[in-house]
Amino acid sequence: MEQTNERLESTVNSEPAEPRRINLPATIAICSGGWLIPGLSHILIGRWIRGLIFAACVIIMFVLGLGMHGKLYDLNVEEPLQLLGMVANLGAGLPYFIAERMGLGAGAQTAQGYDYGTTYLWVCGLLNFLIVLDAFDIAQGRKP
Amino acid sequence: MNLSHFEALTIFALIVSTVFALITKNEPREQFRYGVFVFLSFLAVAFVVGWLMYPLPL
Repeated sequence: MEQTNERLESTVNSEPAEPRRINLPATIAICSGGWLIPGLSHILIGRWIRGLIFAACVIIMFVLGLGMHGKLYDLNVEEPLQLLGMVANLGAGLPYFIAERMGLGAGAQTAQGYDYGTTYLWVCGLLNFLIVLDAFDIAQGRKP
Repeated sequence: MNLSHFEALTIFALIVSTVFALITKNEPREQFRYGVFVFLSFLAVAFVVGWLMYPLPL
């Protein structure tokens, strides 16, 4: 009985459990998956709801950006500043490569939503970078 | 797809504030409060900047 009480007491008074830490190679693999498929990194570390919300946010933003005739940037050596746009677009991961492959994202400058669409496409990529960094911190035990 | 400036701005603010809230806060209540704050801040700043630009001959 005493032993049971002691055990119970130690359970109640114990410090909060240390966040589970995933080794670095596995973390990098998880983050790479999260970059390619938005939200996947959180799903892989057990944060299902967050992962699904993140996936929905990034993919909806990407599709809306394309729908508003936004432009997807690719590598253009003649205009080095476009590299920044390409890096932002690359953040979306697989959707970027699929859209490029399908010839989407040419960008119609005369379209009403061109500026907004292009901004949507940049920002969804940048948000996905933030999401991957968040997953990295969680996997490394730096964040609950 | 033709969204008005306000619709595009509102959807943008909604998505970005959702992601910011989930990334920066851990408790659901905090996330909700912070998300609403960021969302309303986006809209407020857009209105203020819009009115500041209104008299400019663009």
